[in-house]
Amino acid sequence: MSRPAVATAALLVLFGLSVLAVKVGVYGLPLTPSDARGVWQVELRIHVRGDGRRGRVTATLPTSGAGQVVFDEASSSDRLVFSIRGEDDQRVGVWSGWLGGIHEIVYRFRVQTLPASTPERAPGDLAEVPPEVQQAYLPPTPSHPASDAAVQQQLDRFELPGPDEPMARARLLYSFVTHEIAQVPTAGDDALLTLARREGSALGEARLLVTLLRGLGIPARSVRGLALREGEAPGEEVWSEAWLEGRWVPMSTQRGFFGERPPDLVALGSGEREVVEASSVQAVGHRLRALRERLRPDEIATVMAPSNRVLAAFSLYGLPLGTQSVLRALLLLPLGALMVAIFRNGIGVPTYGTFMPVLIAFAIRDFSLPAGLGLVTVVLGIGVLGRLPLERLRLLLVPRLGVLLCLVVLTVTGIALVGRGFGNRELFAGVLFPIVILTMLIERVSITLAEEGVRIALARAVASVAVAVAIYPVFRSPLAEHLVFTFPELVVSTMGALVWIGGYTGYRVADLLRFRALAVSEGPAS
Amino acid sequence: MRLSALRRAGVLGLNRRNARYLLPANDRARYPLVDDKLATKRLCSEAGIPVPRLYAVAREHHEVRDLPERLAGRGSFVLKPARGAMGNGIVVVAGREGEGFLRSGGRALGVDEFRYHAAGIISGLYSLAGHLDAAMVEQRLEVHPLLAELAEGGVPDVRVIVFRGVPVMAMTRLPTRRSSGRANLHQGALGAGIDLATGRIHHAVLGRSPATTHPDTGRRVVGAAIPAFERVLQIAVGATDRTGLGYVGADVVIDPELGPVILELNARPGLAIQLANRAGLRPRLEAVERLGDVELPLEERVRIGRELAALCGSDGAA
Repeated sequence: MSRPAVATAALLVLFGLSVLAVKVGVYGLPLTPSDARGVWQVELRIHVRGDGRRGRVTATLPTSGAGQVVFDEASSSDRLVFSIRGEDDQRVGVWSGWLGGIHEIVYRFRVQTLPASTPERAPGDLAEVPPEVQQAYLPPTPSHPASDAAVQQQLDRFELPGPDEPMARARLLYSFVTHEIAQVPTAGDDALLTLARREGSALGEARLLVTLLRGLGIPARSVRGLALREGEAPGEEVWSEAWLEGRWVPMSTQRGFFGERPPDLVALGSGEREVVEASSVQAVGHRLRALRERLRPDEIATVMAPSNRVLAAFSLYGLPLGTQSVLRALLLLPLGALMVAIFRNGIGVPTYGTFMPVLIAFAIRDFSLPAGLGLVTVVLGIGVLGRLPLERLRLLLVPRLGVLLCLVVLTVTGIALVGRGFGNRELFAGVLFPIVILTMLIERVSITLAEEGVRIALARAVASVAVAVAIYPVFRSPLAEHLVFTFPELVVSTMGALVWIGGYTGYRVADLLRFRALAVSEGPAS
Repeated sequence: MRLSALRRAGVLGLNRRNARYLLPANDRARYPLVDDKLATKRLCSEAGIPVPRLYAVAREHHEVRDLPERLAGRGSFVLKPARGAMGNGIVVVAGREGEGFLRSGGRALGVDEFRYHAAGIISGLYSLAGHLDAAMVEQRLEVHPLLAELAEGGVPDVRVIVFRGVPVMAMTRLPTRRSSGRANLHQGALGAGIDLATGRIHHAVLGRSPATTHPDTGRRVVGAAIPAFERVLQIAVGATDRTGLGYVGADVVIDPELGPVILELNARPGLAIQLANRAGLRPRLEAVERLGDVELPLEERVRIGRELAALCGSDGAA
């Protein structure tokens, strides 16, 4: 390829990437999309009445860890001294001072729950239990009497998998407590009573499960946390955790989960502590509130605009929301074009039209892949089948295409009516238009069908759809959308890549296949 | 490695054809001269280069109505789009049957069907970019007796690649039953490479596999001589000269009565000719590039082309 083309390509790619680098490196824009919805603001309000003596109120405080990120903690302590302490592996907020009359303590934090990721660990690590975990969570305690005879008897009755399968053993105990112990909110919290009576409270069940686990030599603990619900006060919940395969595996007989914690649960601390405890007070009470926060568009704009006047002026986050959503889709098109260029000039896939695959991918972007492909097939089917009776009417080309368009519009309208029950109607209407554009594909396919036969027409249609399917995940990817929308300069880089492909004069993969006979028949020539 | 084997064989790939040859050598403004067969026909006639006789043209839909009447007295003819590609939309009429026509191959074609097809052509159904088109009716060329036994059910043509006024490669496309009389390789016609030096077929392919005989007649194809081959090359180069295009595929039919005639010119000639010749185009194209910009008479350029082909042969060495 020519030197100016290489230079132009390099220049364009470098320009885009360096603007991106400045935005990321200097102004700290995120390279990955941040979830604007998953943030909760939780408020704990404690009322405490004292008679003038010195006293203290404690509350278990959440920590960032597996499945949750805690930030923006704040407290108003109402004449008391606030401090945060660690008490046996537990973060505790302490408000202390002279308690006279009523004090209202407010503690707030924001938390983002994340899907818990299972860390990859080498098999050798599995058996290794850190000594501090072993010390704190294996020995029997009054609330987890793992060495009690009743517990041991119960364990002996199980047909347990071998000790080399601790996960399976834990699951068996979990099933036992889930199915054999009735959950009665008013029943006791004691592990042994729960076992004996075959019924217990949520805390009782959690304690029994922990007790049984410890009885088998698996470190375990109970956890207290909050179930966050939109528009309702959060509920306190207790669940258990077992140290398995090098991590704390959450399980709850109350909620019925094992291994994956539901994203609405936030862990506060040990199940053995009440959320709020107090000493030397007359009365204490607390109330919880939780609010799901969504960042407002202007907040997003503030976060996402670089703190540089020139760069901020080019930030797309300041645009009206409607324009933003159109641009989000539009800015993905160059990536589609790049992929078509690779498929056509690098590989040599024969597609219909230059950008028909982009159009198909765009049309099915808002559907699941099977649904989208189904729609394309339906539209194509109608077109190609609808052509047959039209052929007999001997219509001129443009009106005939018009009739096909009418058929497709009617079908899509029908689909919209049938699909009314599913999801957002407006969204559905918005994505229907590209489907109609596919009418153009019909004409291409039917001409090829008539002129070059079913095989070639089908091969080309399949190739077009295959390239569209390759583009589809890119069009669907929130990461790609975030990247091109936050860093529109990437379109310039894409242009550079296209220039580079445009100057590529080497063989396509299809050339290699097509002229394979020539390559094989040649000996090494001088 | 296959990549380097192809490069050694001098095979021209699609990307390289487009970027290195079509783009610099063929001025887009001149494409209409070859994309429109009526323009090509006019161009050639002005230069005294023989072309099939034009019987009738319909540019507007209302002209389709009396098209059959205008063909009264013509026993056989070809209806084709002026801007068609790859032989699409061509109807060959071999005779008449009552009111209507008979297509080559024996199928009947009613007058209405004929008009409908012509209207489809005018609407742009078969044209390169779907633009409005003209339907043209021209003389149906006959098969030269020397080629008759090499082709089945259609008229073979000779494709000559002309680069900068020098013929660099040629093949003849022999229709088969599978190609239903058409001379298109991807529709099943037999592609036979012609040795420019001797004017004889030296290799042939059916699809991608080599063949030495015609699949229908069983006749041996390799070794057969192309009649009036020097003249074929001369009109191919002559017609190309008139277009001002640098990289052209000229399609020549050898009619028993008219001799070699220009059927059409192609500004985007395909690369399958390399398979038919079992040789890559690159050594020859690059040899022509090395000749520089000297003006040479037509006969001299044809001679150079034939000598170059002998030098380059099919072993890829330049």
